Amino acid sequence: MPHSDIAKQVHKHKKTLLDILDTLPSIIVRVDRNGRINLVNRRFEQFSGITAAEAKGKLLQTLIPQFAGELQQVAVVIDCKSPLTNARIQSGSGANLRYYSLQIYPLDSDVSGMAVIRIDDITEHVRIEDIMAQTEKMIMISGMAAGMAHEINNPLGAILQHAQNIERRVSADIPANRKAAAEVGADLDLIRAYMQKRGIFDFISHIRSAGIRASDIISNMLHFSRRCDSGTEYIKLSELLDRVVELAGTDYDMKKKYDFPRIELQRFYAADLPPVQMSVTEIEQVVLNVIKNAAEAMADAGMERQPRITLRTRLSEGMAQIDIEDNGPGMDEATRLRIFEPFFSTKEVGVGTGLGLSVAYAIVTKGHHGLIEAHSRPGAGSCFTIKLPLKGRG
Amino acid sequence: MNNADIKVLLVDDDEMIRDCVAAYLEDEGFSVYCVASGEEALQLIAAIRPAVCISDMRLSGMNGEEFIVTAHTLSPETCYLIHTGMMYCLSDELHAIGMSADDVLLKPIHDLSKLVNKIKQCAAIRRCTQ
Repeated sequence: MPHSDIAKQVHKHKKTLLDILDTLPSIIVRVDRNGRINLVNRRFEQFSGITAAEAKGKLLQTLIPQFAGELQQVAVVIDCKSPLTNARIQSGSGANLRYYSLQIYPLDSDVSGMAVIRIDDITEHVRIEDIMAQTEKMIMISGMAAGMAHEINNPLGAILQHAQNIERRVSADIPANRKAAAEVGADLDLIRAYMQKRGIFDFISHIRSAGIRASDIISNMLHFSRRCDSGTEYIKLSELLDRVVELAGTDYDMKKKYDFPRIELQRFYAADLPPVQMSVTEIEQVVLNVIKNAAEAMADAGMERQPRITLRTRLSEGMAQIDIEDNGPGMDEATRLRIFEPFFSTKEVGVGTGLGLSVAYAIVTKGHHGLIEAHSRPGAGSCFTIKLPLKGRG
Repeated sequence: MNNADIKVLLVDDDEMIRDCVAAYLEDEGFSVYCVASGEEALQLIAAIRPAVCISDMRLSGMNGEEFIVTAHTLSPETCYLIHTGMMYCLSDELHAIGMSADDVLLKPIHDLSKLVNKIKQCAAIRRCTQ
């Protein structure tokens, strides 16, 4: 074969190879043992904003410093001929938080002393993993909650109802009580006077109110177990959100404790969003809960800037999406990851049950086959996103 | 109608629950019968023909749903209520004998006077339909 043909063939093969590399969605870079760049693909150019020609000969760790830690392993990988796989790197924070996987392979060819680095953006994958882990955890907790609720409801019933029976059996209005007292030589009025003097009526009333409080917690927990199909209807999200805002305005806690009227409300409703099938009272409860949490967080933080809640609706991937965003204190990653867990509360013990958002989670995910997520950054507010299938539970 | 003329059958395997509900209903003057299982209740129901039967769902032996479906064939004029500690969704069989979500009472009932009202309501409907 003539020399020029061979050169053409080589050029053709090289081009094919580069085409393949450029087609891959991964960042591919070939470096020497010091990290000096020998070859990059198009994805690298897009990611770093540096052309292949500019990158050649430069140290990779200086061009993409967020991966500098892992890139130190290049020499070790080459020397030991053992790849580094599945390093997971977190970069940025808040809305800019991204996850990457980084792999370093020693080049096992005549181009020895080199390594190939592959970097993939796995943010979406991590997010799905996150949701799945959360769902699994909630399913486990929900099973426990339902079982526990049943076991507790019977003794709670006995406590509550016997307390009511005690009140009635010393009541002056039931003739059988006077008769029984007389039979044992006692005077019902005196018994009642004694009980009053020693605060026994108050004790009984406290038993009942404490029992009712416990029972309310249990009944919230039961939201995790199988729910009966409460009636669903089609409603416009804008109508629902406006109604919740109105409801929030009349809520005692919202008015007195969280200074709701001071909060600026912004509403951006998508005009093209069709009505959504849902249990209106349940989704109202979810939205009210999220708004209440936002108002409370902003009130607790004693913010200097104007507190603001922004409500947005839009159509997203065939689902109806509601965003409830505040400009409050936000939360750290550890809090964000646990925010939907039952009994998880950042408040002092005794303030709130920590059930509100977990019930919201159960209503949206189990009750409506939807999705609820929280995004936040300390100091930069929080945004809760609720996605609902347009046709309800399906 | 005098409360004493209204027979109420309570089916619950928890003695505490039977006792506390029965005590309240007896103070209200109803004629209350208590049993711990669906099997015992089936033996009694045809003989006493209660106006109202209040049954738990989780029972030892046959469950509450099986019991109500069978009991309805023996005493169709009785009004059946479910008293349960779990979120319970009515089955098709129970819908078919005319039960509705209003007939499911979640434990614990905070105020038994509500149960009394429900029993009186059931007894009044039964009287009208007889």
